[in-house]
Amino acid sequence: MKTAHEIRPGNVIMLNGSPWVVQKTETTRSGRNAAIVKLKLKNVLIDSSTESTFKGDDKLDDIILERLECTYSYYADPMFVFMDAEYNQYDVEADNLGDAAAYIVDGMEDTCNVTFYEGKAISVELPITIVREVTYTEPSARGDTSGKVMKPATIAGGATLSVADFVKTGDMIEVDTRTNEFKKRV
Amino acid sequence: MTPRTQYWDIFCAVVDNYGDIGVSWRLAKQLVLEYPLIINLWVDDLFSFSHILPQLDPSLMTQYIDGINIHQWNTPLDIVYIPGHVIIEAFACKLPNIVIEQLNQRQDSLDATPPLWLNLEYLSAETWVDECHGLPSLQTSGLKKFFYFPGFTPKTGGLICEKALFNEREQWQSHPQNKLDLFTQLGLTGIHNHDEVISVFSYETQALAALCALWQTSEHKIHLLIPKGRSLRSLIHLLPCPIEALVSGQQIVHQSLTLHILPMTDQQGFDRLLWSCDLNIVRGEDSFLRAQWAAKPFIWHIYPQEDDYHLVKLEAFMQIYCDNLAPEIAKSWSMLNVAFNQGKQSDVKMHWHNLDSERLAILHHAQKWPNIALNNADLATRLIQFVQSCEDAALK
Repeated sequence: MKTAHEIRPGNVIMLNGSPWVVQKTETTRSGRNAAIVKLKLKNVLIDSSTESTFKGDDKLDDIILERLECTYSYYADPMFVFMDAEYNQYDVEADNLGDAAAYIVDGMEDTCNVTFYEGKAISVELPITIVREVTYTEPSARGDTSGKVMKPATIAGGATLSVADFVKTGDMIEVDTRTNEFKKRV
Repeated sequence: MTPRTQYWDIFCAVVDNYGDIGVSWRLAKQLVLEYPLIINLWVDDLFSFSHILPQLDPSLMTQYIDGINIHQWNTPLDIVYIPGHVIIEAFACKLPNIVIEQLNQRQDSLDATPPLWLNLEYLSAETWVDECHGLPSLQTSGLKKFFYFPGFTPKTGGLICEKALFNEREQWQSHPQNKLDLFTQLGLTGIHNHDEVISVFSYETQALAALCALWQTSEHKIHLLIPKGRSLRSLIHLLPCPIEALVSGQQIVHQSLTLHILPMTDQQGFDRLLWSCDLNIVRGEDSFLRAQWAAKPFIWHIYPQEDDYHLVKLEAFMQIYCDNLAPEIAKSWSMLNVAFNQGKQSDVKMHWHNLDSERLAILHHAQKWPNIALNNADLATRLIQFVQSCEDAALK
């Protein structure tokens, strides 16, 4: 079991007898620090998606399915192809990657966990932190060096996030894939 | 009259003294008064509840007041829970296990359906509320719970407001003698019709002490109506004795400023108090909303959260509130609220000064705001509509 707060894209949770791939998580705060977690879910068994909301401390039945460490190989529309250490290839539907798709770039060496349900690759969990190049961000407006002033940026793969004002286009930055938060410049 | 055929259960865990139960009680009362419903209100702390409902006897397991069945919610439950049509967990409180078990049994039964299960959440003006309101929360058991978010936009669950409230307020405010009679009734003496009266129901903050210093040197008389509570902890230097020794109706005079110690009052009395003051300093959720319905200027001392997240919530509200306000006035009012919440003494004084010349404009805005905020439908009405739409969807 995991709390809703601990759930991240790529996890598979059991609801009402069906496994659901978590495609997107959004955590917001309610009153008195209580968190609200909104999950975008895709049913593994039937072609059905839904959004569901939980309290941050709600217990969810995350199921441990077969997993393999893989690296990204290439994209064959609409499939992302991953490869394990023995060069076996696995196709994962782009839709099943959810928000993780925006971190996928050619040549990436990050080790991902590909999850299987009844022999079929159904989701991909990224490492908690990844390093990506900033492909576009506005120049620093205020000359801020404290890191507290944030501005929008796009990184390789297409994900957008808020970065510290001192970050420039072309910089390599570390991102937390659970929260899509900028961690530091590397 | 339509017979009362449906019954709903509202569960409320008292966390803050009067906030959660204040909202739950108002909702229960409105549902019973305006709709043909039987309401069971389960409360885990009847003693706190009795402060805003003096006729409540905290020693009774169950009692019937204003048309509502009020039950003591003990863990484990010692009153039998029988599922009705709707069950509301107020403000993310956790339903008792026995209740969840009963819901699960109904889910598995061919003969009975579980009640519609709602989590009534905290009020926020943040934009994400629009996206989360009404979303289901799928449970492992197959049960579905719905998140219900109050809010200021048509996409949210609305704001608690009794249908007759604005008429009652307008009638009250159209006769200045009403407020003077109320002050007399509360044991507050020496307040004249032209004096400025400010009510305070805040948390501790040095901003209040700073404003009091300012008000002491005011050219006109200012009366601060303040209950024995957290606000006074910031004004100890102005008190002649420890807070515990203060008595209701006591007056403490410091030049132009007179502090009046307010007696505890019920919700109706609190509404009238807000209607009768020139400015209300309020906190939390319930008093915050009632100050808006008072159509008077107010300062919101929002519940402090980790990482100053409460300032994000304050900012979201200020943006909505100031939408139709002239930019300069909006800025002054917003800066005053931010400074008050940050406890910044010099800033709060400066912004109070800046706002002083705009008091009339702020008052006019406060008078227009309730109808704008309500968006033509209050929370109870939207709740009834939401339940109906869920039931219709279940039948399809």
